Amino acid sequence: MREAIPAHKPWFSASLWEWIFTTDHKKIGIMYGVTSTVFFIVAGLMALGMRLELFNPGAQYIKPETYNWFLTVHGAVILLWWAIGVWASFANFLIPLMIGARDVAFPRLNALGYWMFFAASVIALLTFIPGNHIMTMWTGYPPLASTEGIGFAGTTALFVFIWHLTGFASIAGAVNFLTTVISMRQPGIGFFNMNLFLHGIMAANVIQLLGVPSVAGAVTMLFLDTYLGTNFFNPDKGGDPVLYQNLFWFYSHPAVYVMVLPAFGVISEVVSAFARKPIFGYKSMAVAIWAIALVGFMVWTHHMFVSGIPDWVKILMSYTTLLIAVPTGIKIFNWVATLYKAAIQYRTPMLYALGAILMFLIGGLTGIPLGIPAFDIAVHDSYFVVGHFHYVLGMAVTLSAFAGFFYWWPKVTGKMYPEGLGKLSFWVILVGSNLLYFIQLIIGIWGMPRRYYDYPPIDSWITMHQLQTYGAFILAFGVLLAIIALIKGAISGEKAPDNPWMSNSLEWRLPSPPPPHNFDEPPKVEEDYCPHGYCKF
Amino acid sequence: MKWMLGFLLIVAVSFAGEAESQVLARPHDLWDIIYKIWLIISVVIYAVVAIPSLYFMVKYRFKPGEREIGDQEHEGHWGLEALWTIVPLIIVLYLATHGFALFTQMRKPPENAMELKVTAFAWGWMFQYPNGKMVIAQAIKDTDDKKCKPEECYGIDGVFQNYVYIPAGVPIKAVLTSQDVIHSFYVQPAGVTQDMVPGRTTYAWFQINKPGEYWVFCREYCGQWHSRMFAKLKVVPKEEFDKWLKGEVADTGHEGADFKTANIENNKAQEVVR
Repeated sequence: MREAIPAHKPWFSASLWEWIFTTDHKKIGIMYGVTSTVFFIVAGLMALGMRLELFNPGAQYIKPETYNWFLTVHGAVILLWWAIGVWASFANFLIPLMIGARDVAFPRLNALGYWMFFAASVIALLTFIPGNHIMTMWTGYPPLASTEGIGFAGTTALFVFIWHLTGFASIAGAVNFLTTVISMRQPGIGFFNMNLFLHGIMAANVIQLLGVPSVAGAVTMLFLDTYLGTNFFNPDKGGDPVLYQNLFWFYSHPAVYVMVLPAFGVISEVVSAFARKPIFGYKSMAVAIWAIALVGFMVWTHHMFVSGIPDWVKILMSYTTLLIAVPTGIKIFNWVATLYKAAIQYRTPMLYALGAILMFLIGGLTGIPLGIPAFDIAVHDSYFVVGHFHYVLGMAVTLSAFAGFFYWWPKVTGKMYPEGLGKLSFWVILVGSNLLYFIQLIIGIWGMPRRYYDYPPIDSWITMHQLQTYGAFILAFGVLLAIIALIKGAISGEKAPDNPWMSNSLEWRLPSPPPPHNFDEPPKVEEDYCPHGYCKF
Repeated sequence: MKWMLGFLLIVAVSFAGEAESQVLARPHDLWDIIYKIWLIISVVIYAVVAIPSLYFMVKYRFKPGEREIGDQEHEGHWGLEALWTIVPLIIVLYLATHGFALFTQMRKPPENAMELKVTAFAWGWMFQYPNGKMVIAQAIKDTDDKKCKPEECYGIDGVFQNYVYIPAGVPIKAVLTSQDVIHSFYVQPAGVTQDMVPGRTTYAWFQINKPGEYWVFCREYCGQWHSRMFAKLKVVPKEEFDKWLKGEVADTGHEGADFKTANIENNKAQEVVR
């Protein structure tokens, strides 16, 4: 049926001109992916610089300004470019393939979204020029960020523009993805038999639509305060710095679900494909995703438990925060139940996905006490928090993204990756990350504050920081191996079959790589279509 | 499920009982309760998830010719799914409620607490005792001095780095505000953190029972030398503290009077939030 159609070149032989003016969702997805990954590597190198500096107490290689700039860019880039941006890549490439559409609903808006993201990338690179460094941290709290001269916050304008441009890209993407999934599904694909990845993407993008305006408003007021002399956050003139924190976290807490819900989707796809059976409890999995997105909007003040807000608000948000653990728990238990009576094939994506589940559990369990003010009061803004969100973002999200890269690599490039190197990269990353992040949890319980360029010469602290630095370099080596495996696969891998994993999902019924127009004719979806698991067809 | 709740209650009660004995610092004893409960619950939950997963991962491997495809019928079970919705729900409701009870106690300073006014600035603190005596803790004089060895940077002979004397066994209510940007006040042994927000007054209370030297750190990022914003508490017996407060004990380092603190008193209107 799918004999070669030479009229269309595969995506990778497109000219530069075609890349710049393309509205093809696959090309845009690949551009998102390359941009995210390049920035992921840059932010990772900055983290290595910080870990080197912390190897011993005292000033060593870099100045505190440089360290604070590294930390700000590391945070902003990992969150906005990697943890959010990489899912824009997956969503672009996969949504039309999974629902049997030719492209997203608004291809030109989609291209505009990517180029806004690209403009934000250029601004992020501008902060590398000395004198343009931003040292506000990725949160940019006023009055530090809005006051010239005190505390050396750097060029706040660039910080604000990064948020505006990535926010625009997020909204453009969200409008597109939601419209596409809602209105362009093939008959036969309903909300309760579509890929769980699509549920994850949809829930994440509903959050983007509702949340981004809040943070955009917050940083706009920050800009006005800093450069035009307004006083939204200036306590001397009746403003309130805590207002910024409310507006900021109203988006930026739900934003962590923008990062993690698509990751849950990828884990579900990969686990069910390699367990060779349907996902356990599909409906509760889908409902759990939406429950997380909904409750996620009611928990933001747990970032402000020590900001001087009334105690009753803390208690209220403590209950809502802990409620998030329930749908999250459902997902984890369902993944484990999917493994029961399975026929598990240990390929690289499966290793990454299983690792993501077991590591995400640590991230979740360490998140629970941070939602209890009685616990948080001792570890707020400590390395415990750093360890917690690195288990969630550095492990759950990153491992799932790598699982997704390896899983869909044959579809994207048409070539198989080297299996041995892929597996090796997983184990190296797992060892390095745990050494790095688990020690952050321990040293946080001891009281080490976060965002410290320097720390007092306490012997046990020095040992723990040195172990973390070793862990960071092991992790970096693992990431390097994974990237080598992917690139080597794309260049010199064996030719990939259409459906190497024997998945029943729609995207695997296309040739690898898919032709520019995706489907020659609207695909016929069988009556009992189930995108998960092993099917002979 | 019932036994689990019972087990949790026993754990909670036993830790609460232990806390009555002599503790290093308050309210860290209350934190210890929730910490231990959380640690036990977490380890149990991790085992409950990880052990079956590892077992399934080993047992249900793909075997050519023997097990090539998973059980297609096994795609959900309402009873099981309800079980792992309700049990976690009970656990988190218990945790939040116990945390609520402890937090109420942690936030309530004892009646006899000594009030200590603390004003943060970039990068240090000004401590003001009830009789008006002031102490400044500041390790960084100008923004360029970084060439100190760690022992010197964190020693007590830093630029304005003075010991902050605290009486042992006396509850202290620290009334906190900031002059410039948001800082934070973290008393390490007592395990209390509270942001110091310009234009607001917040508070934290703590009590350290054992004399010695303890750290206070800033935990809210406040710019270039955030990491050197620390103070050293010198906890001394009550009598010794009273002598020091009256000025009968020679202080190490400088008295705070020569610094920019003269205008602290008539500083901007500090609205009391709570």
